[in-house]
Amino acid sequence: MNPTPSTSPTLATLATSHFEPVIIVYTCYWCSYTAADLAGTSRLQYPPNIRIIRVQCSGMVHPNLVIDALTNGADGVLMCGCHEGDCHYLEGNLRAKSRADAIKMMLEDFALEPERYRLEWVAASEGPRFAEVMTEMVEQVKRVGPSPYK
Amino acid sequence: MPVKVAQEWFAICGGCEVTVLDIGEPLLDLLPELEFVHFPVIMDHKLFGQTGENNTADIPQADVGIITGGIRNEENRHLAELMRSRVNFLIAMGSCACYGGIPALANQFPLEDLYDRVYRGNSTTDSGETPKGAVPALLDRVYAVDEVVKVDLKLPGCPTTPDMFAAAVMHLLKGTPFALEEKSVCDQCPTIREKKAVATLKRPLEPIEGAGEPLETVRCLMEQGFLCQGPATRAGCGGMDGGTPRCVKAYMPCRGCYGPLRDDANPMVDMMGALSTIGLDPAQISDRAAQFNRFAGAKGRLRAAPKR
Repeated sequence: MNPTPSTSPTLATLATSHFEPVIIVYTCYWCSYTAADLAGTSRLQYPPNIRIIRVQCSGMVHPNLVIDALTNGADGVLMCGCHEGDCHYLEGNLRAKSRADAIKMMLEDFALEPERYRLEWVAASEGPRFAEVMTEMVEQVKRVGPSPYK
Repeated sequence: MPVKVAQEWFAICGGCEVTVLDIGEPLLDLLPELEFVHFPVIMDHKLFGQTGENNTADIPQADVGIITGGIRNEENRHLAELMRSRVNFLIAMGSCACYGGIPALANQFPLEDLYDRVYRGNSTTDSGETPKGAVPALLDRVYAVDEVVKVDLKLPGCPTTPDMFAAAVMHLLKGTPFALEEKSVCDQCPTIREKKAVATLKRPLEPIEGAGEPLETVRCLMEQGFLCQGPATRAGCGGMDGGTPRCVKAYMPCRGCYGPLRDDANPMVDMMGALSTIGLDPAQISDRAAQFNRFAGAKGRLRAAPKR
């Protein structure tokens, strides 16, 4: 039984939906992965739909890695890096930001919804924010449904 | 005993056939070893017999088959399958055969739209019904040869350089393996790269800074703002000895005719990434899918806009 689609799902519709998205999260080694670690050691709760891939810098995530993930079965991709100005490599996250614009443009070419991709800055001390962003992303992807490439 | 070669051409301009004629001196070494048994462009051998006496098309048995051009219609598909059954080793020659090439730009539109645009709705053409029966029907899109039949060797390029073709044939005759370059055009490009654009995007007709000066002193064309497809294109156009890429040698940006580096790569994704990385604005590029898949539209890289 499929629940009727709604723009703002209540907890009840989320609970009855059988769709469990797979979301690839690229986290940078210096900030966001540490934030994920902090969220874990602080025992913060967030949905188990995410698969974290640690990269040295958000600036090394080429658009290929995002598009390939989305066209090979991932329902969403989230990129997390240091806040602007905080990059360990000075401007890696600015590079990620300019690439994000290109990625958003290309989602349309691959008939993917813009909600499936997101770029977020999460600093090392922001464990609660990491959990919050993950929860938001999972809800956002659940709303658009499974990837057409599955 | 010379090696028998059969060749057939499909959706192509004929440039790759000229490559065979353009080999130059090495052709003198090759010719005694080769015997062309079917080659529509350069010799008179007809599919239905010399006087049209046969009812079915046939290609003579041969050791090596060469196909140039993509598979556009039913006849192309039939002949490609026939060729495969007649030869032991099949070469797809040129970017049309390997990746669809220029004809595959039509893959962006459904077949009916193409008919409407080119024939029925064209103000300078007397519109009529699409002919059926007398001419082979078009397939739904342009296919690369290896999407239809098994291909043993792919030689990309628009056209394939004569020395690459000669080298491949030499290797085949000697029985040694032949492999394509696995680097990108940028890896063989001598211009100065600093990974930062010094200008905004330019149109190709604007003057290139440093044109005429030694290439080692010229700034990377993409960093000057010209759309150069070097980062997403296979090297090899400069010759088998790894020379300077052909277009760059003439102070022109690479157009991507050697096709993507990997068979499953999408040059559009690579190029959009490369442009935004050095600080150019990818939003300014109109028609990015066709722009960056100009020679690689088959295999689903270019397709009609999906309905959402």
